[in-house]
Amino acid sequence: MTDHDVPIVEPERRLGRPMFWVSAVVGWAVIAYGIRGLLHHHIDTRPANLAKFFVGGALAHDLLFAPVVLVVGVLLVRAAPRPARAWLQAGLIVSGCLVLFSYPLVRDYAKVIHNPSSLPHNYTANLAVTVGVVWGAVIVGALATAVLRRRASRPPRTD
Amino acid sequence: MPAREAIERRVRELTTDPDQPLHQHAYQSPLRDERLAAWLGASLGILFSICFVTGLYSHLHQHPLSWLPVPSRPAGLYRVTQSLHVAAGIASMPILLAKLWVVWPRFVSLPPVKNAAHLVERIGLFPLVAGGIFMVFSGIANIAQWYPWRFGFPAAHYWVAWIVVGALVAHVGAKWAIARRALARPSRRPPLGAADDALGAVAERAHPGLSRRGFLGTVFGAAGVLTLTTVGQTVTPLRRLALLAPRDPAVGPQGRPVNRSAANAGVLQSAPSPDYRLVVEGKVRRRLSFDASQLESMAAHEATLPISCVEGWSYSARWRGVRVRDLLVMAGAAPSATARVHSLEQGSVYSSSFLDHAQAHDRDTLLATHFDGMRLDLDHGFPLRLIGPGRPGVNQTKWVTRLVVE
Repeated sequence: MTDHDVPIVEPERRLGRPMFWVSAVVGWAVIAYGIRGLLHHHIDTRPANLAKFFVGGALAHDLLFAPVVLVVGVLLVRAAPRPARAWLQAGLIVSGCLVLFSYPLVRDYAKVIHNPSSLPHNYTANLAVTVGVVWGAVIVGALATAVLRRRASRPPRTD
Repeated sequence: MPAREAIERRVRELTTDPDQPLHQHAYQSPLRDERLAAWLGASLGILFSICFVTGLYSHLHQHPLSWLPVPSRPAGLYRVTQSLHVAAGIASMPILLAKLWVVWPRFVSLPPVKNAAHLVERIGLFPLVAGGIFMVFSGIANIAQWYPWRFGFPAAHYWVAWIVVGALVAHVGAKWAIARRALARPSRRPPLGAADDALGAVAERAHPGLSRRGFLGTVFGAAGVLTLTTVGQTVTPLRRLALLAPRDPAVGPQGRPVNRSAANAGVLQSAPSPDYRLVVEGKVRRRLSFDASQLESMAAHEATLPISCVEGWSYSARWRGVRVRDLLVMAGAAPSATARVHSLEQGSVYSSSFLDHAQAHDRDTLLATHFDGMRLDLDHGFPLRLIGPGRPGVNQTKWVTRLVVE
């Protein structure tokens, strides 16, 4: 039996029922307050345009980003050598986050406002340095674990 | 019908069972685990709560309520809360993505709805997920000054925050029992140190690739690297590490950043003009008017105060200027007076800012002419800018031309 076969225990769900409904009512009241505020301040919030980004973000994640990550994961499992897999996964996760965060910096969208103190660095170079340091750490970590593992599996010397 | 069976088999493979979300077919990974989901969810809940509370505080500064005055002391309070707001928002990015990755197969669970509670829970996931993505995306885009949308960022970010928090309350209520159980019980697999040949098949080590602990550590590590490479925009000793920060607290006119240049504010002619005057008017006994050189000779009070931008960068400087409270006394304003400070800049929501009673009468609330021994540059608000303790940068109005006593 694997740990995946441990069933969700129904009685605990039932115990959670009153809390579920109370928090659902409170939560949806707060959501309604937010939606009301968005609509009330429509000159600032532009609800139609905002809705595009609200729905678009979720769709972009669920239908584009998540499947791409799943496919990368599958390819990694198939292609990467087993001892290096964990380190490759870690390196890809950290550098992926860095690239995503830096995207608007690297594209330098702020240049249209001509403010020299906005985005003052060369972010392409800085991203390359940061990602380089991350992969340096990945390589060092992978080599260190390989050495430790080899040492651990070596039979003790008898002489 | 073999074709129908084949389709049914394919659907079974590509979907998951809402009761056995870990018993997945196409998305099997030892990392998709209740305990891991609970850890990520709890971390995200903490970060989003920090963002919400600090965001509310910032909103209150910019949209003051007469019955809930914001404190002007300690002077660095807003610097701390807003730096936390932006740092927690940045750090939540990897954790949000990891959390969504762990629970993503639930998105394709069949049947889509089992009962009323399940329906309510699933509908509530939309504002939670879409709202969470919206908040993190719009926040990160905003600090990079990237505006691919047409709505006003502060209003949209503020109202969607309520939607996310509401959805979070509902979600916590739905998951409380499961998350508590998942966090309370010991890991179902022995830790690495306890792995031996007999346990090999179920120990973490037997699984090639990241362990659950390793995955959690990596995600927190990603949040840590993002924090380390950005937080120097406000924690100045870490400035040299801030390779990916949108601002450098030591880069800008006179070695300090600005959010709005004189050119962007349209004050290149009016600010240095010999016609410039500061006028103190409104509910006063004497209307006052000063030109730039008079203000400079009157500027005798000094205060060390931070300037803290809503976008999460800040620096501290030694400011010199005229106390607002001295001007109020000179003009014969009532002891209960409040004031509104107006800029030469026209047509912006930040063209003026409000000083409540405590702020207007604080000994360090200045209309400054100098900082760090230098006459203010045009981009820093020459000839006169407001600087007061514990205020957001957008309320430290630049190019001040009118003080209207209320």
